[in-house]
Amino acid sequence: MILSIAWRNVWRSKTRSLVMIAAIALGLFAGIFMMAFMNGMYNSRIESATRSELSHIQVHAPHFLDNTESELFVPNGFALAEQIAALDSVEAASPRLIAEPFIMAAHGTGGGKMLGIDPEKEKQVTDIWQHLIEGTYLEKTSRMPPVLVGKKLADKLRLKVGTKINVQLVDFNGDLSSKGYRVAGIYKTVNTGFDEMHLFVNINDLRSQIGIQPDAVHEIAILLKDNSYAPLVKPAVQKTAAGMDVQSWKELSPEMSIITDSMDQYMYIFILIILIALCFGIINTMLMAVLERVKEIGMLMAIGMNKRKIFNMIILESVMLTLTGGLVGILLGIGVSRIFEQHPINLSAFAQGLEQYGMSTEIATVFPSHSLGILITLVVLTGLISAIYPARKALKLNPAEATRTE
Amino acid sequence: MKIIEIKNLHKIYNGSSVSVHAVNGIDMSIEEGEFTAIVGPSGSGKTTLLNIIGGLDDATEGSVEIEGVKINELSSRKLTDFRMKNIGFVFQAYNLIPVLTAKENVEFIMHLQGSKKADRDARTSELLKAVGLGEMMDRRPSKLSGGQQQRVAVARALASKPKFVLADEPTANLDSHSTENLLDIMEQLNKEEKITFIFSTHDQRVVNKARRVITIEDGKIISDIRK
Repeated sequence: MILSIAWRNVWRSKTRSLVMIAAIALGLFAGIFMMAFMNGMYNSRIESATRSELSHIQVHAPHFLDNTESELFVPNGFALAEQIAALDSVEAASPRLIAEPFIMAAHGTGGGKMLGIDPEKEKQVTDIWQHLIEGTYLEKTSRMPPVLVGKKLADKLRLKVGTKINVQLVDFNGDLSSKGYRVAGIYKTVNTGFDEMHLFVNINDLRSQIGIQPDAVHEIAILLKDNSYAPLVKPAVQKTAAGMDVQSWKELSPEMSIITDSMDQYMYIFILIILIALCFGIINTMLMAVLERVKEIGMLMAIGMNKRKIFNMIILESVMLTLTGGLVGILLGIGVSRIFEQHPINLSAFAQGLEQYGMSTEIATVFPSHSLGILITLVVLTGLISAIYPARKALKLNPAEATRTE
Repeated sequence: MKIIEIKNLHKIYNGSSVSVHAVNGIDMSIEEGEFTAIVGPSGSGKTTLLNIIGGLDDATEGSVEIEGVKINELSSRKLTDFRMKNIGFVFQAYNLIPVLTAKENVEFIMHLQGSKKADRDARTSELLKAVGLGEMMDRRPSKLSGGQQQRVAVARALASKPKFVLADEPTANLDSHSTENLLDIMEQLNKEEKITFIFSTHDQRVVNKARRVITIEDGKIISDIRK
């Protein structure tokens, strides 16, 4: 019966309760949508980083990542890549050679990271081929070996499809090696930093320039069926590639790992700030509700309703009010997030800024469904905490005076 | 049989500049089945006396014993429980819960007592019929007249089967017809069911119906007449 009284009391002053419910709903909707938007933004960053740059797991010779020297290679790299590709939950594995060359073009010079790839295997792991905006995907169209450059580098060095560049690097024997390549294609990912730094050539062309043994590779990039499998699959890869360094994308890009790991905490803090602001409104509403009912509360005390039950009744009212607004806000937030999950938000007006951070200009909002329980708990706690002061105020009433209040 | 025994009761309100002796050494007792009116001018102390008898206010000195229990010695929690089980209240302004129907208002106290639904339903129906509101059980207070609301309040006061009912100026907000009607009902309940009623009142019509009239002035009993 107390539950029923509390619920009816919520609707006693309809306008006041509706205004409060609308404020709670709006606040939570904004918080949840923001949560889904930020989640979508970082998902897009992770997606672009893993699909175009890092893949999910990489295998290197020990210390290769500390100093990219060509003699730190993975022996029998091709065979190892085949074995890894056959593991459970692994989608594909691509062997790569890596060099850090000096690039000379007619209109400028620059540095970068050159990846020697098997074009077909790389297609299965990264999506660079889908980001081609000009030319072909490492198809040999002239005597010179083809190279794929990023749009940012192409703009910087004024390169076009067919332009010749000269690549200088230190070969396997420590000598300076120079080789000409012709730009076969220009790609553009969502990350301009990546586009400026990375060049792709056929693995055999880079091998001949470095002078490394035929079965050696510097990196095996592994794509999993889902990025969340990385910690589960990593031990199996490590077992297969014994003695090698095996790292997941989170280890390869710790800054991204920090963002994703702390994302939930940031979002809860954000929602908490909204709820704290709403707390003051709820306290005010509940205080008004108590002060308007002094006579009634006095009567309840007089006829024998004990303090605990009166306290519970007021707490219940506040929780019901908050939960009603909270659930409306949560449902609204999830609903709108779902809409923008299907129809991503176009942020091309901010393309330049977003691409500097490797983020897509189309953000598909993603509501983190694992947060639902925590969100509802936070809403209930807000209602509960907000009611403590008004409830204590009610308990301090003297029934003899309260029943005679005008 | 005595159900209330009051001995040397004093109540002093200490204000910032003056102290008010609202109840000044009252000794009295109430027998079971009495229909008593406490009368006196405004500020004479009748409401304070009623509040102390009902355990809603503390006495400064003296004692109130209800069927052998000294209520001023009970803890706040026990006193609340005691009120629920032993005392019925009727207030001047009815003080019904506006979000509940007449029936729910009456059964609320039985709910607090933990009565079973079937018992609650039967008693509520019986009481509302007794006060002439059998057809209006599902109406909320806002859909009832002042007299009808006060009758619901009487039914509520009786719902817990109390030892006595304290009614603080129950007719103050009612017209003559509603007053007569309410007094008839209370008189009938008193005669037929031996329910003890104690009123504080200014209303001559209540005084006329009462079988015992205690007059108070300046916190003291100046007359106690049994008719």
